[in-house]
Amino acid sequence: MAAARAEWESRDTLDVLNHDIPRVDGPEKVSGLARYTHDIRLPRMVYARLVVCPYPRATLRSLSFRKANRIDGVVHTEAIKQEGDAIAYQGYDGVVGIVLGETPEAAGEGLAVVDVDYDRLAPPLVTPEQSLAAGAPELRSGGNARGESSSGDADDVQAELESADFVVDETYTLAVQHHVCLETHGVVASVLADEATIYHSNQFVSGDAREFARLLELPNDAIHIITDHVGGGFGSKFGAGVEGLLAARLSRDLERPVHLMLSRRDEFLMAGNRSGSVQRLKGGANADGTLVALHADADRIGGMGNGSLPTPPYIYTVGESFARVRSVLTATDPSRAMRAPGHPQASFGMESLVDELAAGLALDPVEMRKRNLSDEAWHRQLDRVASEIGWHRHPNRTRHGSPDADGMAFGIGFGVSVWGSGSMPITICEVRISADGSISASTATQDIGQGSRTLVAAIVAEEFGLSPTDINERIGDNRLPPSVYSGGSITTGSLAPAVKHGAHLAREALSERVAASLACEPDDLVWSAGSVHVGGNSSRSLTWKQACALLGSETISVNGHWQAHLADQGVHGAQAASVTVDTLTGRVQVVKMVCIQDQGLPLNRMALRSQINGGMIGALSYALLEERVHDEASGLLLTDDMDSYRIAGCQEMPEMVAIIDDDDTRTGVMGMAEATAIPGASAIANAVYNACGLRLRSLPLTPDRVLTGLAAMG
Amino acid sequence: MADERVGRRARSRADERPTQAGGSDDTAVSRRAFLLGASGGVVAAGLTNALLSSEAAATVATVQDAAETLSGKISLTLTLNGKRQALQVTPQTTLLSALRHHLAEPLTGTKEVCDQGTCGACTVLIDDVPAYACLSLAVDMADRSVRTVEGEGSPDNLSPVQQAFCDRDALMCGFCTPGFIMATTACLERHKAPDLATVKRELSGNLCRCGTYPHIFDAALDAAGKQGGRR
Repeated sequence: MAAARAEWESRDTLDVLNHDIPRVDGPEKVSGLARYTHDIRLPRMVYARLVVCPYPRATLRSLSFRKANRIDGVVHTEAIKQEGDAIAYQGYDGVVGIVLGETPEAAGEGLAVVDVDYDRLAPPLVTPEQSLAAGAPELRSGGNARGESSSGDADDVQAELESADFVVDETYTLAVQHHVCLETHGVVASVLADEATIYHSNQFVSGDAREFARLLELPNDAIHIITDHVGGGFGSKFGAGVEGLLAARLSRDLERPVHLMLSRRDEFLMAGNRSGSVQRLKGGANADGTLVALHADADRIGGMGNGSLPTPPYIYTVGESFARVRSVLTATDPSRAMRAPGHPQASFGMESLVDELAAGLALDPVEMRKRNLSDEAWHRQLDRVASEIGWHRHPNRTRHGSPDADGMAFGIGFGVSVWGSGSMPITICEVRISADGSISASTATQDIGQGSRTLVAAIVAEEFGLSPTDINERIGDNRLPPSVYSGGSITTGSLAPAVKHGAHLAREALSERVAASLACEPDDLVWSAGSVHVGGNSSRSLTWKQACALLGSETISVNGHWQAHLADQGVHGAQAASVTVDTLTGRVQVVKMVCIQDQGLPLNRMALRSQINGGMIGALSYALLEERVHDEASGLLLTDDMDSYRIAGCQEMPEMVAIIDDDDTRTGVMGMAEATAIPGASAIANAVYNACGLRLRSLPLTPDRVLTGLAAMG
Repeated sequence: MADERVGRRARSRADERPTQAGGSDDTAVSRRAFLLGASGGVVAAGLTNALLSSEAAATVATVQDAAETLSGKISLTLTLNGKRQALQVTPQTTLLSALRHHLAEPLTGTKEVCDQGTCGACTVLIDDVPAYACLSLAVDMADRSVRTVEGEGSPDNLSPVQQAFCDRDALMCGFCTPGFIMATTACLERHKAPDLATVKRELSGNLCRCGTYPHIFDAALDAAGKQGGRR
């Protein structure tokens, strides 16, 4: 039998997909019953707290648990580092000890009386300047500036710059940002002699066992990973981490389950960040706005990691370009992937530069962008967001505005985005149908908030004319068929085709039984509204339960595999922001943000709008508030809680317009969430310029920076 | 009026910026003039401090007189989601920890996020007033009524606010959601027909990282509409 291959139906005939689909796990999340790792409670479980060195570079002078061990309820204390050991950087290397208690209070009290002392090493090497200073100690052999690569011909660029009509030569600086997952990183580990159960807030359930297996000297399949819900990841929750490995080992040693969720302070110290960057850009354009040359010299600031930054000119097409990029190490927590790693930084550099060139040439910045963007998608998207934000009614399109009598100025700015998306061919989804009508779809993906759980249910529901809540979707468990990580916006493109294929195979199998019963060909059957009928003759029909009852004692069990033709890749977006700048207080208020985003076939429109909003809000927060700050003398992290490291709240929220780009007629599916996080900060900074002529080349756009900048303008 | 959220910290946010002076009222002091003359604020601050110092001193004295040192495990009874509940906790145990760790059947819907009264993920209603459970001591709950997200509804029988959150996709990862459900519930119990600005103000003690705020506002206004308010 030659089976027809699985195909997405055309958008206008879909009943579930391409509509607003409420999350299937919404009811348990809004009623507090959804269990996250933090919420796991096991018999005899103990709670762990880490002893963490606050200094980036130090020697452990002394560490004593004598007092801690006398605290009622302290179960176990342990030195992770010994006296005289070096702490090489702020982060995982600063974990010097651990306290475990019967209750969180006991562990916390024990931690509070640990006697620990350090000899600080100077300089702390928490800024690129400190790391690059002559005579600075090497954080890794080979030096603190590393991984330099260059592309293009600097001489050709120089020649083009000399003949360009207008040249901008500026430096753009971005602070380090934190993920601030509301659920901190952590594990609840229950390790027995020959198997281990690891509840883990992570982004790759299928691949999570390996590190634990190696540590515990157990086979991979003796490690059971359970991740029902994840309280945010944003790229930071890959791998066991020091916290995960410590919890697993101590569970084995103590023969008790261990609950080790990082404290909020530890989360800031060691759970990752978006790398900062310093970009020196010299760009030239002709009078008509054509970008003719770019010389870029950029540093990635990723702590002990390499950081990330796509090579300038990033999205734009430039006649001649030269780029030299390197990493500058600091003695701080290595950067991790964070929603579109490197892209918001690259966007801020190039979108600011393009905006400055447009201003210098008195050109409309929207038209200037379109002139230098190759893909037609960006042209229609820029036109759409410009229209939505009221650009064509705005008086200051080719020159900036100025404050009114009250000191308030209003402006509009733009930015565009790109993301590869794509997919991996490793997901398998098992679909089962039983004679009692129960139907399940199982695959070891994870839902970190993007709605993958709902997607699994919705795709199967669409296939059978059922509702997503009729499907028992099972995810978040590595004993289910394997699936991909949540990262790089590849989840949808990797997951959805396999689920679709599984649903398709299951429907073919059930259709054979039903066709025999209804005396028709399997292809004649129409599955809709909870029943199945012969096409053109709705009287010959069975309810879903009647159809499944034909299975008798059998169960349909089929495995769907990833199908290349059901996925696609490459997304585009454009954003516009309008702001008011209070030139007396320095406060920037975002008035409205608009984002349009393409993604091929939209699967859950409501979840897509949530993702688009989320991207814009993350960018707004990055633009206005977020900045990791160290004391440069001591190296202490000053922004180590949610008061000192602020994220956007209700009062920062502008009017937001999230647009799904239905002019993208591609029929495959792909993820898009990362793209939405990229251009918003650039658009806001450009809007500030458009409002009052203040060009801030460093984020966040805090009142002090605004006032200092305005003062410098005179 | 004192901030009704027990233990809530004042947050310096955009809503605190001076109202813009309208151009129509020519008797108003202009905003520019007000701000440029803001050195007058020092006088006001000094006055406030003076008022505070006398009242605060009296308050502190009362508390000290009544103080007794608590230690060991304290037994108390509170009303939790409408049911009488006995509890044994050490004096330093927060209400948040008591709910999450010290009940025979822990209530883990109330989330621990910042643990310092910034983010609102642990918002509960104490005697129907929203409070941060991480800043409230369990021993202070004796004979008081505490409402948590679990008491508002169940998946089969959601409260109007919970249902509106589902319908509007007002949640993503869901970790801030219980706190927002409780803050929204409190908002709608105080305001039958809140406008968007009221919703934003009433929820401004809660933070979300996924970026669900616009849908939360939609959900709050929808639920308000169902109780006879706008929409």
